[in-house]
Amino acid sequence: MNAYRDQYATIFNGGKGVAAFAVSVDPDTTLASWAAENRYPVTFLSDVGADVGKKYGVAIETRIGMLNARVVYLIGPDGKIAHVMSPFRETDPTAYQELEAAVDRLAK
Amino acid sequence: MVKVTLAALALIGFAGHATAQERPQPKPLAVGAQAPAFSLPAATKDGVSPKAASLADFRGQTVVLAFFPKARTGG
Repeated sequence: MNAYRDQYATIFNGGKGVAAFAVSVDPDTTLASWAAENRYPVTFLSDVGADVGKKYGVAIETRIGMLNARVVYLIGPDGKIAHVMSPFRETDPTAYQELEAAVDRLAK
Repeated sequence: MVKVTLAALALIGFAGHATAQERPQPKPLAVGAQAPAFSLPAATKDGVSPKAASLADFRGQTVVLAFFPKARTGG
């Protein structure tokens, strides 16, 4: 998540024509405090129960309950899935380059 | 020797299968599929948002949906 913050302007065109959401099963209050502590620029969505994760095929049962796997979707202006990164390798710089290139292609 | 190797492979295969069942992998949607609608409570660094965020509100924009397991896990 720190990489998203630090590269936000580059990856997401500074937010122009691009809405970036990070989705987890955490309560909205947890996400808000975490975002405030780290000054994260993205909007977090609270998917308690992973119901949206299930619709997107990313919910997995773990020892600590249902969680959403680390998967990034790009949805085009037409509402269709335009790019999928599964798993999203959050420690790999090339993952962010791939994401940036995909956003650029769509958000022109 | 061949029998032993085959038995070992079968065992590894079985163990792999069992592990896969215990740890199901995500089955992401394919490119080109309609993105399922959602409306979820939203939060930013400025606090919990007064209004839920719906995919429908962002039609005409590019939307990045980054699913991740849990806050405070380093990703």
